[in-house]
Amino acid sequence: MDFSTLTSKQIRQGIVDKKFTAVDVVNFYLDRIKRIDSQIKAFITVTEKEALAQSEKIDNKVRKGQSLGKLAGSVMAVKDIFLTKGIQTTASSQLLNSYIPQYSSTVYQRLLNEDAICIGKTNTDVFAFGASTESSGYFTTKNPWDQKKVPGGSSGGSAAAVAARLCHFALGTDTGGSIRQPASLCSVSGLKTTYGLNSRYGITAMASSFDCPGVLARNMEDIALATEISAGKDKFDATTVDQEIPKYSEKLESTNLKGLKVGIPKEYFSSSIDEEVKSKVLEAVEVFKKQGAQILDISLPNTDLGIAVYYILVPSEISANMARYDGIRFGQSTTGESDIIQYYMETRGKYMEAELKRRILIGTYALSSGYYDAYYTKAAKVRTLIKNEFVDTFKKVDCILAPCLPTVAWDIGAKANDPLQMYLADIYTVCINVAGVPSVALPCGFNSQNLPVGFQIIGNFFEESKILSIGHQFQKLTDYHLQSPKL
Amino acid sequence: MKVTPIIGLEVHVELKTKTKMFCSCSAEHFHVDPNTHTCPVCLGLPGALPVPNKTACEWCIKIGMALNCTPQNTTFFERKNYFYPDLAKGYQITQLEKPFVINGKITIDGHDIRINRAHMEEDTGKSVHIIDQGQEMTLVDYNRCGVPLVEIVSEPDLTSPEMAKDYLLKLQQIIRYLSVSDADIEKGSMRCEPTVNLKIEDNGKEFFTPLVEIKNVASLTGVQNAIQFEIDRQTKEFEQAREEKSKTNKTTRGWDAAKNKTFLQREKEGSSDYRYFPEPDIPEITFTDQEFDAIRATLPELPDQKVSRYKSDFGLNDYDANLLTSDITFAQSFETAIGDKSTSDFAKFVANLFIGSIKTYLNEQQINIDQSKINSNFFKNLFDAVSKSEISSTVAKQVIVESYIENKDPVEIAKSKGLIQVSDSGEIEKIAKEVIAQNAKAVEDYRKNPNSIGFLIGQLMKASKGSANPQLAKEILEKLLK
Repeated sequence: MDFSTLTSKQIRQGIVDKKFTAVDVVNFYLDRIKRIDSQIKAFITVTEKEALAQSEKIDNKVRKGQSLGKLAGSVMAVKDIFLTKGIQTTASSQLLNSYIPQYSSTVYQRLLNEDAICIGKTNTDVFAFGASTESSGYFTTKNPWDQKKVPGGSSGGSAAAVAARLCHFALGTDTGGSIRQPASLCSVSGLKTTYGLNSRYGITAMASSFDCPGVLARNMEDIALATEISAGKDKFDATTVDQEIPKYSEKLESTNLKGLKVGIPKEYFSSSIDEEVKSKVLEAVEVFKKQGAQILDISLPNTDLGIAVYYILVPSEISANMARYDGIRFGQSTTGESDIIQYYMETRGKYMEAELKRRILIGTYALSSGYYDAYYTKAAKVRTLIKNEFVDTFKKVDCILAPCLPTVAWDIGAKANDPLQMYLADIYTVCINVAGVPSVALPCGFNSQNLPVGFQIIGNFFEESKILSIGHQFQKLTDYHLQSPKL
Repeated sequence: MKVTPIIGLEVHVELKTKTKMFCSCSAEHFHVDPNTHTCPVCLGLPGALPVPNKTACEWCIKIGMALNCTPQNTTFFERKNYFYPDLAKGYQITQLEKPFVINGKITIDGHDIRINRAHMEEDTGKSVHIIDQGQEMTLVDYNRCGVPLVEIVSEPDLTSPEMAKDYLLKLQQIIRYLSVSDADIEKGSMRCEPTVNLKIEDNGKEFFTPLVEIKNVASLTGVQNAIQFEIDRQTKEFEQAREEKSKTNKTTRGWDAAKNKTFLQREKEGSSDYRYFPEPDIPEITFTDQEFDAIRATLPELPDQKVSRYKSDFGLNDYDANLLTSDITFAQSFETAIGDKSTSDFAKFVANLFIGSIKTYLNEQQINIDQSKINSNFFKNLFDAVSKSEISSTVAKQVIVESYIENKDPVEIAKSKGLIQVSDSGEIEKIAKEVIAQNAKAVEDYRKNPNSIGFLIGQLMKASKGSANPQLAKEILEKLLK
């Protein structure tokens, strides 16, 4: 049986109705991982034993007639920057090679509590710094649609795992596009939540004021269900919001496309965009138009400042967030140095990957006295401008529709030695993180080389319910999200 | 050449909250097994996040209010970045731009010492350097890492080591009144870093010597000695090199208590760069004026207020009022003893017993006063007995200590020991006659010099075991010897 065609709700129901067992579901995915992952390389760690034990626990509950969690039988892959108690968490860095955390991240734990099954930890750019998984300290994940291409990043392992049907859904994080961009390149769906909706506790920090954990899956229904479980106030994360989380999965039909005001920002369809990508996204716009949505041309003039703001503020926060990786309390370290400064330099010099060092250097520079006001302070002010631009725009439109990036997946290695080109891959996604609003990415077709194209629906603060519902209407009218790569 | 020291103090006070500043670990760290009060947050493990301790923030504001500072409605935390093994995260969460409270002052002997700010931050762990089997090593204990610290920064308004000491004692007194910290310098719950330079007037010109920040001062005498050493050193240094203060020549010197001298630790303070920026893990913190009022309402009567009340309500002198209020429990015990509606006479009587007897006893025993052992009725009874001359004030001072220790009525103690003052002139006359009979020499002396009657009174008091009313004894002796 192909469990990858079912939704989380259908899997749970099948287990409750004893049509199949949770062990069957796990074995289905384990079997695929064994057959396929040696090519795709989505996983750094496969947790076969733990996944089987967890599924047996669920099957035992069924035998005893006990009630099951809402995600019973949903097999998840977890980006390797989420701490998983007792399971190696590397952040794709050699710094944390063999690191076994002693506690679990909140989002992961909340999903486990509802009987989700963790099948493994996925590859990412090192500490999520990147857009292709090429900066991983372990290996590069391949795009399941064309293994010469990158899967995108940083949540490239998670996106590839969902696309290749190696898991039911996956956890990722989106700091500047790291969920939406790989989702788009791998033809899966992914939600960047409003900043503060999902707890960051237990996830290795990249840029604390940007990081947004979220779910990648094959459809809106699964994303909605997992998000309503993971989201909400966490007493361990002071930036989480204290508000009631709607039952997103029950509100998927609540938004009517007729009369919906959809904003199309001209800056996201500028000359730098690939023509095929542009036309596929505009075809998606047509789908909404046919349903009676009102398509409005809008402008977000500060868009081109997004990358600059992002690449000042994010490395600044990174430079401080990476300071704890000093080899003293955990992680890899060198031995034998007599002096503490030497110890720091050798440990960090040896085990930190190049992209990590690059961002620490940029951030340290931006925060240094004499440069702080020119860089950090100014960028923080522009951040407010970009945020206000979104706030103002949502007074006029219900949602904004845009591509996730200007291109389809590129060749592995093509941008690996050109950090600036790599940073520009985030051009259509970063402003959403700079502002903190939610955005959901979903597939809208394939180019002439059969490479996936996706688009994003951006909503106002805490309007996950609305954008998921809009995305769901789109998926009912299209079948792009049902396509799978030949493997 | 006229030399005026310019001294400012940065004082760190460790709060005695139940839990640490950003996690729920116990904040207790004195004599605790190493690394037992730790968690992912204070160990700076991957993914761990700080959540501020509300009580600590309120206490910081409370300290500020007690120091006449203005609390700020909106504040935020910042990261101060530097590497050290006992700083788990590689940065300290502190405040730079927007401290909780600003612009206060305290008054010492009529001088206003301005307070620049009081802000909230976290303590570091402790590095312990040991030699194990001939090998030098450093161990780190993170129990103290993340314990709430309030840093109180004075303006450079102090002009002598003694003044710096008085300022510290005053700060300690106020903080202890608030019950937010033990403020114990020896135990490290109150730490002080003086910054010292000199104003030198020479030939009608003014010069300022380079700033020196002194670290590792671990006692009150250390603070005084270190400052004095710097004053002397800088004076000599200036005479030789005549270097003046600039933006870049601030230095940090360590205090070596054993050698009684400071030594250079770090040159060019201006070049160290902590790369402060707003702490993104903690949203801005806002307090409303109503919340400030609620915090203000929890402030106890502070030492200065108590002193002036004792003076105006009870007519106590400045010295006694200050002694009584030096420690809040002692002051509260005094207030328990005098009760609600004390007359000035009664308050003065009790004040004498507290200062003359009880404090002496406590000092001898090196213990603190136990307020629960103070019974207002005992003091009342004693006061009445002394007023009626049943008990001499000498006896009162003796029995009050026993009364405090045994929790017994002091008048009963006096009775049981036969210390009730005899004011029966017949009885005293009987004893007086015996004393006169036994001290012929003294009687002779008296006849030559009436001022020598003291000896005879002393003999009489001794014979009566101190129970005779001394005034009466004198009168009767004089009458008999006429």
